[in-house]
Amino acid sequence: MVALVIALALFFDFTNGFHDTANAMATPIATGAIKPRTAVALAAVLNLVGAFLSTEVAKTVSGGIIREGSGGVQITPEIIFAGLMGAVLWNMVTWLKGLPSSSSHALFGGLIGAAVVGAGFSSVNFESLLQKVILPAVFAPVIAGLAAYVCTRLAYALTARHDPETGSKLTQKRGGFRTGQIFTSSLVALAHGTNDAQKTMGIITLVLIAAGSQAPGSGPQLWVITACAMAIAIGTYAGGWRIIRTMGSGLTEVKPAQGFAAETSTASAILASSHLGFALSTTQVASGSVIGSGMGRRGTTVRWNMVGKIALGWLFTLPAAGIVGALTALLVKTGAVGVLIAAVAGSAAVLFMFFYSRKSDVGHQNAVEVEEAGQAVRFAKKKAMARARAKAKEQAKAETDAAANTPKENQR
Amino acid sequence: MKWLELLTVAGTTLISAAVVVTLYSLGVRFTAIAADAQQPSPGIKRSVAYVCFGLCGAAVLFGLYLIIPYFTK
Repeated sequence: MVALVIALALFFDFTNGFHDTANAMATPIATGAIKPRTAVALAAVLNLVGAFLSTEVAKTVSGGIIREGSGGVQITPEIIFAGLMGAVLWNMVTWLKGLPSSSSHALFGGLIGAAVVGAGFSSVNFESLLQKVILPAVFAPVIAGLAAYVCTRLAYALTARHDPETGSKLTQKRGGFRTGQIFTSSLVALAHGTNDAQKTMGIITLVLIAAGSQAPGSGPQLWVITACAMAIAIGTYAGGWRIIRTMGSGLTEVKPAQGFAAETSTASAILASSHLGFALSTTQVASGSVIGSGMGRRGTTVRWNMVGKIALGWLFTLPAAGIVGALTALLVKTGAVGVLIAAVAGSAAVLFMFFYSRKSDVGHQNAVEVEEAGQAVRFAKKKAMARARAKAKEQAKAETDAAANTPKENQR
Repeated sequence: MKWLELLTVAGTTLISAAVVVTLYSLGVRFTAIAADAQQPSPGIKRSVAYVCFGLCGAAVLFGLYLIIPYFTK
C-alpha cells in the first residue's frame, strides 16, 4: 500500500508539472520570446532547482480543511491514496480539455471526498474550506488580473513614442520586452518549483511516518526530495501543450509588452501570497494575469467564452475530484481486492485518456500557431513585416484548408 | 476571515508588479531613444537605460531572496 501511494503521489507530481508548464511558459512561447522546446526545458530545470531550494513541508496535507486526528478522521495511506486518485484523474481530464486548473484544489477535492466516505461530513472543516479554497479562487484571478491590467497600461503608456512636432507615431521598438519575458517567466517557473513539489514531498513523508518507517516530525528524506523534484521536472518537460495553447492564444492575443506585464504580475502575486500567508493558486493567478493584460492592451479582445469554460472547470474541480476520491475510498474500504480494482481502474482511465489525446495531437510544433510567424518578424522593418504577415496568413489559410480536408484533426 | 491579509497581498502584488514594469519600460524606452538618429547625447540615455534595467534586475533578485527559505531563515 505504501509503495502504491508513493507511486501515485509521484505520478500526481508529474501531472502537476505538465499541467502547470503553461503558467510560466505559455506567454513567452506565444510571443516567440523563447522557442517552445527551449521554454519547457528551461521551466523543467527551474522547477527542479526550485524543488531543492525549499523543503518546507506542509505538516498537514489538507491544510486544515479536513479535521485530522482526534475528533476527526485519521489520515491513513488509504485516504491519501483515494484523494490522489481523484486529483490525478481530474488533472488528466482538464488537460485533455486544455483547461488550466489548480492541482492543489484537485488534491483537496479528492481528500475531502475520501474523508467524507471515511468519517462523514463532520470531518470537513467548512470554514477552512471557504477561507483556503473558495475565496482565494475568486480573488486570485481578480488580484492578478487587476495588477496585469495596470501594468499593461503602464508598459504601453511608457513606451508609446510620438514625434514631438508632427505627432505621428514613431517606431515603437518594444522588442526589448521579449528579452525581459525570458527572466520573468523563469521567475514564475522557479516560484512554482518551490511551491508545488513540496506538496508531494509532504504527502510521501506523511505516508512514510504513518507506515512507521520514519520518525514523526522529521523532514523529508533525500530520496523523497530527489524523486519529487525529478517527477515535477519531467512532467514540466513533457509540457501540457493543450493548456499552453489555451493560455497562450486561447484567452487573448499576447504581445511581448503585454506578456511581460502578465508574467510580472503573476510572479509578484505568487511571491506576495506565499510570503504574506494568503495562499493563492499559481494557475488561477496566471490565468487572471493573462486575462487582465488582454483587457489592458487596446485592440485586443478577451475571448470570454473561453474564460467562462475555464471558470466552469474551476467550479467543478472540487466536487469532481471529490466524487472520484469518494468512490476510490469506498473501493479501498473493501480490502486488498478493492485496492487492486481501484489501481487498475485508475491506470486504465489514465491510459484511455492518453490514447484518446492521440487522436488530435497537440505538441510543441502546433501548440501556438502564431509562433513561427512571430519569430520571422522579429525586429523586421514594416515592409518585411507586412510581407511576413501575408505569408503567415496564407500559411494559416493552407493549414485550415488542410484541417478541413482531414476532419479528424479539425477538433480542438 | 483574513481580509487584511487579502488586502496586503493585493496591494503588494500591484505595487511590486508596477515597479518592475515601470523600470523595465523606462529601460526599453531609453534604449529606443538612444538608438534614434540625431540624438544629442545617446551615451547618457543608453546608460540611463542600463540603470533602469539594473534596478529592475535588483527588484527581481530581491523577489528571489524572499522565496528561497535558505536566505530568510
